Amino acid sequence: MKNLMVSDLVTDYGHVRALDGVSFIANSGEITTVIGANGAGKSTLLRTISGLEKAKSGTISWGDLLITNLAPEEIVRLGVAHVPEGHAVIPTFSVLENIEMGALFRKRKNSTDVKVAISEVLDLFPRLAERVKQSAGSLSGGERQMLAISRALVSRPELLLLDEPSLGLAPLVVEQIIQSINQLCRSTGLTVLLVEQNANTALAVADHGVLLALGKVVSDQPAAKMRADSALRTAYLGY
Amino acid sequence: MNTFISTLITGTANGAIFALAALGLVIVWRGAGVVNFAQMGQAMFTTYIASNLIASGNSYWLAFIVALISGSLLGMIIDLLIMRPLAHKKSSSATKTLAGTIPVIASLGILAILQALAGIFWAGEERGFPTPVNSFYFKNGDGTLPFSAFNLFVIGVVLIVLLSLTYFFTQTGAGLGMRAAALNPEVARLSGIKVSRMRTLSWAISGAAGSLAGLLITPSTNLSPNTLDLILIIAFTAAVVGGLDSPLGAVIGGLILGIGIALVTTYGSPENVFLAILFVLLAVQLIRPNGILGGKQVRRG
Repeated sequence: MKNLMVSDLVTDYGHVRALDGVSFIANSGEITTVIGANGAGKSTLLRTISGLEKAKSGTISWGDLLITNLAPEEIVRLGVAHVPEGHAVIPTFSVLENIEMGALFRKRKNSTDVKVAISEVLDLFPRLAERVKQSAGSLSGGERQMLAISRALVSRPELLLLDEPSLGLAPLVVEQIIQSINQLCRSTGLTVLLVEQNANTALAVADHGVLLALGKVVSDQPAAKMRADSALRTAYLGY
Repeated sequence: MNTFISTLITGTANGAIFALAALGLVIVWRGAGVVNFAQMGQAMFTTYIASNLIASGNSYWLAFIVALISGSLLGMIIDLLIMRPLAHKKSSSATKTLAGTIPVIASLGILAILQALAGIFWAGEERGFPTPVNSFYFKNGDGTLPFSAFNLFVIGVVLIVLLSLTYFFTQTGAGLGMRAAALNPEVARLSGIKVSRMRTLSWAISGAAGSLAGLLITPSTNLSPNTLDLILIIAFTAAVVGGLDSPLGAVIGGLILGIGIALVTTYGSPENVFLAILFVLLAVQLIRPNGILGGKQVRRG
């Protein structure tokens, strides 16, 4: 059982203090969602956990390991995979190359498992399976998001950091992607930290909610309770 | 007719060498975001090493292999000692707009250092450089065939290199990693690819390609600290003509320039070669500003 524990995390983004003492726990095998308005520091939080941004102070522990300020390429080897914002795929690569890229670092030692992992993600997202040879640039937004998630999944993560998977996608596609993640979490015990602007969708599948405002945690409670808290919604989410 | 065919073959052989040098430039540009003006300086240096080995009685092939290995080592050293520290240096706001040019200026400095060192070590004398096979035209009874064994050797070697590089970049994990690191360093790092190691690897491959170009071209240019400057200009033009970020484009650019220069030398006059290079560059830039196979306006930061 590995939990992600973030304590008093402070990160500057340029000259702006993006995270100002953030603490929370994402429990093993659960979906924890981080919600909040634009600029609340949600993306910076994920980027600091995965090592893309340097924390100024505070700690991030993953199970027994302290992973604060390790390099991203080391953190992914510890089972933490990050799908950054904006359907991050390489458009000139084929769909298969984009997926294979995520497993390169363990291909030499585990080539059979890499093959298994690739066929698993293609089962999870059959639309990608039909398009393995196509270039990623020719995919729709939803398919690109599935591809970015697949790239992360073939690294066999125990913790998946998902940054705004719904950004720019049609509601139906969002639903499909969120449900795939939900299914994956429930069936494999994957721990998910889901950053979303679309609070309603995120809270509907999540076990736990963390609400950020201006780099601080303003609420940390079970998702169902947060969803029912109309005062909180009006104050911070504006609906 | 014979003159024309021999011109074409010589042009193709030289073009293949230019393609190799251009490819070296493209690999470092794509892999590390640096236009490396030191490349032919590195090649000059390693060709001197080969020349010394041969002069002290070693075989051509030993010298050939040592030059290629030292070419890739020199590339790695340049990356590890100069380029990587430069990339990690936080640029102040004053230098931020110039950040992309800093490694380019550094490469000019490296060129100057290598040329100066070659002058110190080898007195800067101009010397010849041997070919592994005969560079005279084949005899055919009383006449000659319009090409030499060396022409065929050059074309063959370059072809093998191009095919193996294509295989490496498209079919192997390391090749995929290198391309990913060049196209999107952030996603590459998140995928567990060690981006700075990939950059060093691209310097190594480019260094070896440049060295090979040096070994193959010096029999016809002779060797001195500055003789390969002209090759850099041609290779750079070939790379730009091809699109700068396209390996295949670099090869096409190299062949266009090789054959073009051979035609101008045979049917025009050798002093117009520079004019011809400039003409090709301008013409391509006017018609296709991104080069023959260049992609859209994407410039990595």
